[in-house]
Amino acid sequence: MRRERFNFGLDRFSGLYLWVVFIAVFGIWIPGLFLSMSTVHLIASTQAVSAIIALAVLIPMVCGQFDLSVGANANLTGMIAIVVQLKYGWSLAPTLLLSLAIGLLVGLVNGLIVVRLNVNSFIATLGMGSVLAAFTLIVTNSQEEAVPASTAWNNMTQYKVFGFQVIIYYLIALALIAWWVLERTPAGRYMRAAGGNPEAARLSGIRINRLSWWSLIASGGLAGFAGILYTSLTGPSLTFGPSLLLPGFAAVFLGSTQFQPGRFNVWGTMLAIFVLATGVEGLQLVSGAVWIGDLFNGIALIVAVALAANRRGKPLLRRRRRPGSSIVDADGGEDHVQDAAQVGREA
Amino acid sequence: MPADGAHRDDGYSSNHHQGPVVAASDGPGSKEPGASPSLGIHALSKTFGTKTVLDSFELELRPGEIHVLLGQNGSGKSTLIKILSGYHVPDPGGKVEVGGRELHFGSAASSYNLGCRFVHQDLGLVETSSVLDNLFFGTGFPTTAGMIRRGAAREKARAALAGVGLEIDPDVLISTLAAAERTGVAVARALLSDDSDRPLVLVLDEPTATLPVNEINRLLSTLRATAATGVSILYVTHHIDEVTDFADWVSVLRDGELIDTWPVAKLDRERLIHQLIGAELEKVQRLESPHADTRAHPPILTVSDLHAGPLDGFALQAWSGEVTGVCGLTGSGRETILGAIFGVLPREAGDVRVDNELLPPLRTDVAIRTGVAYLPADRRANGGIMDMTAQENLTLVNLRPFWRRLFLRRKLESAEVDKWFEDLDIRPRDGASAPLKTFSGGNQQKVLFAKWLREVPKVLLLDDPTQGVDVGAKAELHRHVLRTAKAGAAVIVSSTEVEELVTLCSRVLVIQEGRVVDEITGDRLTATALNRSFHLEAIKAGNEGVTDA
Repeated sequence: MRRERFNFGLDRFSGLYLWVVFIAVFGIWIPGLFLSMSTVHLIASTQAVSAIIALAVLIPMVCGQFDLSVGANANLTGMIAIVVQLKYGWSLAPTLLLSLAIGLLVGLVNGLIVVRLNVNSFIATLGMGSVLAAFTLIVTNSQEEAVPASTAWNNMTQYKVFGFQVIIYYLIALALIAWWVLERTPAGRYMRAAGGNPEAARLSGIRINRLSWWSLIASGGLAGFAGILYTSLTGPSLTFGPSLLLPGFAAVFLGSTQFQPGRFNVWGTMLAIFVLATGVEGLQLVSGAVWIGDLFNGIALIVAVALAANRRGKPLLRRRRRPGSSIVDADGGEDHVQDAAQVGREA
Repeated sequence: MPADGAHRDDGYSSNHHQGPVVAASDGPGSKEPGASPSLGIHALSKTFGTKTVLDSFELELRPGEIHVLLGQNGSGKSTLIKILSGYHVPDPGGKVEVGGRELHFGSAASSYNLGCRFVHQDLGLVETSSVLDNLFFGTGFPTTAGMIRRGAAREKARAALAGVGLEIDPDVLISTLAAAERTGVAVARALLSDDSDRPLVLVLDEPTATLPVNEINRLLSTLRATAATGVSILYVTHHIDEVTDFADWVSVLRDGELIDTWPVAKLDRERLIHQLIGAELEKVQRLESPHADTRAHPPILTVSDLHAGPLDGFALQAWSGEVTGVCGLTGSGRETILGAIFGVLPREAGDVRVDNELLPPLRTDVAIRTGVAYLPADRRANGGIMDMTAQENLTLVNLRPFWRRLFLRRKLESAEVDKWFEDLDIRPRDGASAPLKTFSGGNQQKVLFAKWLREVPKVLLLDDPTQGVDVGAKAELHRHVLRTAKAGAAVIVSSTEVEELVTLCSRVLVIQEGRVVDEITGDRLTATALNRSFHLEAIKAGNEGVTDA
C-alpha cells in the first residue's frame, strides 16, 4: 500500500530548507559578520576538505563497509607531505605522489584485513586508525613542523579562481566523479547491491569481496588526498584528522535523508556538509565559542542517524531482527527502529 | 498427539488434490450454541487514504475452534492481523471483543492483556540460542533475586512444549530444529503466559510458508493439540490445500472484502479457488515427457559425484527442454543441491559441467556467464535486494545493454524493464522505480523471475520458486517455467511442494541421505506416488524423528 501525499518535498529537501533558515537567522542576527562574501569563501574552502573526507566515508558505506580510518589516514599523509618537503627537500610532484600512494596503501591494507582476514570493517578500520595515529607521531617525531615555504605547495589549494580558493574546484571534480561512479556505472550499481544485501548480490554474480576491497582503496586514496589538501590549506597539525571523521559520518547519514531518501548519495552528503558548516560558522560568529563545532557535529550525527533509522520503509543498513518484537513486522515490510549502536554492530 | 491426527497425516495428501476438500468432519466443527465467543470481530474496516483495505469484516471464533482465513497477497489479511495486534487503528465503528472484553485499538498491551497471541511468518526466534532461552525472551525468565531459576524455567518450558505436543529438549539450539519444530516453539512461546492472563486467541500468519510439505502435517497436529486445550486459533494463509481439512471454519477474504464464511465440510477445492481469486484458474499443463527427442543430444548439465554438506555422491544429468524435479525430506540434502551446483555453497568434491565446461565452485559470476541461472529459496534473505528498486533488481545481472558511452542509460533500461513488467504482468505496472519491498510477494517473485529469464539461461535452477506466492501468481509463474523449458532451457526445480513438482516436472528425483534413490517419471508421477515415496523414505530413515506418528 503506497500512499501518495502532496507535499513541498519537506522530507527530501529538508536540508535545503534548513540551510535557508540558517542563512536567514544568522543574516538577521549578525548581518555584518555573517552576510559577506568572505564568509562564503571561508566556508567553501575549509569545508572542501571535510567534504572530500565525507566522500571517502560515503563510498565504502554504499558498499556496506565502514571506514573509520579516514581521519587518521588524512592526518598521516598530510604530515608526511610536510615532513618530506621540509626535511628532505622534496618538490611538489613526488610529495604528492608519495602521500597519495600512502593513502591508497592504507586502503589496500584495510581491504586485506576486511576481505582476506574477515575482520568486520568497523573494527578493522577503527584499529587501523589507531595504528595510523601512532605512525603520524613516529614520522613527525611528535613535532608540529613549520609551513613549507614553497609557493607551489601553498598555491595548490589557496590559488584563487573566480574569488574562490582552488580547493573547492577539486571537491567539485571529485564529487562529480563519485556521483558518476555510484549512480551511472555498473560498478556503482553493484556496490549498492552489495551494500543492500550481500548474499543476494553474490547470487547475482557480483564479486562483493573485490568491490568492498576497491571501495576501501578508493576511500584510502580520497582520505590521503584530503590530508595533503588540509596541510597545504591550513598548515601542519598533529590532530586535525580525528576531527574530520565525525562531520564526515554526520554528513553521510544526514545526506542519506536528502534527495534520494534511504540511499547514501553524493549530493545529499555534499549538501549536509555545507548546511552543517553554515550552522557551525554562524554559531561560532555569534558566540565566539570554540566548542560549538564539536557539539553541533555530534548532535547532527545522532539526529541524522535517528532520522535515517526511523524513516519507515527505507532502512539504510540491513537490520537484524530482534526476538519478541515481531508485532510490527507482520508482513515483514515494517522496519524495526535502528539505533546508533546497531549501526556499529552491523558494520 | 491424538491418534486421529496421525491417521489424517497419512490420508491428507492423497485426498486433497481431487475430490472434496474434507475427508471427514470429525473435528469439533459444530458450533455449540452455549459457548460464548473468544473472539468477536464486528464491522471492522480500515482505510488508508482513499483505499479501503478492509471492509466491514466480521468474524466469530469460539473456544477450541480453528478458523482458517484465506486470502491472496494484498487481500487485507496483514491489515486485519495488525489491527488485532494493536498496531493499526481501524476506521471508527468497528469493534473487536476478546473473551467478552473490548479491545482498545492501537494498543499492543491491550491486545496482549485480553489474551491475543501472534505467531508471524518470520518467527522471530534467535537461532543461536536454546529453545529454553527463546521461550523466555519475551515474558522474562522466572527469577529469584535477579538470578534465573534454571530448574523452574526448564520445568515451565517442558510444560509449554508439551502443551503444543512437542517433545524436544529445551536445551537444544533452535538452529538444530526442523522447520515445523521451530514454528512449534514459536507457538509455545506465544502461549506461554504468567498464570494471570491466559491466552484465548492464537493468530498465525502464514505459518507454513517456509515449511516442507511433510512437516506441514506435524505443525497442523501441533495446532490441533493446542486447540484441544481450549485456545481458539485464527489461521491466516493463502495456501488452500494444506489447511482446509484441519479447520472448523473457512473464511475467504478478497480485496478487503469478506466473501463468506463456511463450515469446512461444505467446501470443495475448485469452488474455494474460485472464491479466492474471483475467477476460474486456468490449469497449467506440464510438458509431456519428451525424452525421446530431447535426449538425442548430450545433456546440458552433468553433475557427478557431488559432495557438499549433506550431499554424498549426488549425480544428475539434465537435458534441454526438460523440467526435472528434486524432492526430499528436510535433511536429505535437497536444499543444498541447487546452491552447490550454482556455486553459492562450497563443494567438497565432484564435478559440475555445463555444455562440457567445468563450473568452478564459489564463482557465481562464472556460472552466470556460462548460462546458469539460480533463483534461491529465501526471497528476502537471498533473492531480492529489497531496498533497491524493482528495476535495479531486474537488471542487476546484466547491465551491459544499457552501458553506452560511459553512462548507464536509464531510458534503455526502463524500456526493457517495462517490457518485462508487461510480459510477466508484474503489478503495479508503473512501479519499476519503487523499492522491491513495496511489491507483494508474488510480484517480487515475478521480478526475480524476470531477472533470470532475461539472461535466456541454458540451465535454470529454481529453489522453491513459488514460496509465499498466491494461487493466481503461482499458476502464471508455472507457465513461465514451462515456457522457458520449451524454449530450450534445462530446468531443475527443487520444491517442498509435491503439487508443484507434479505440475511442472516430467521427472522427479527423490533424494535421500544426500543421493538420488528414485526417479519417478511418466504416469507414475502423481502427488500420491510422490507422497508415498516421502513416507517410504521416512520409514527407511527409521527413528530419526522424521515421522511423528
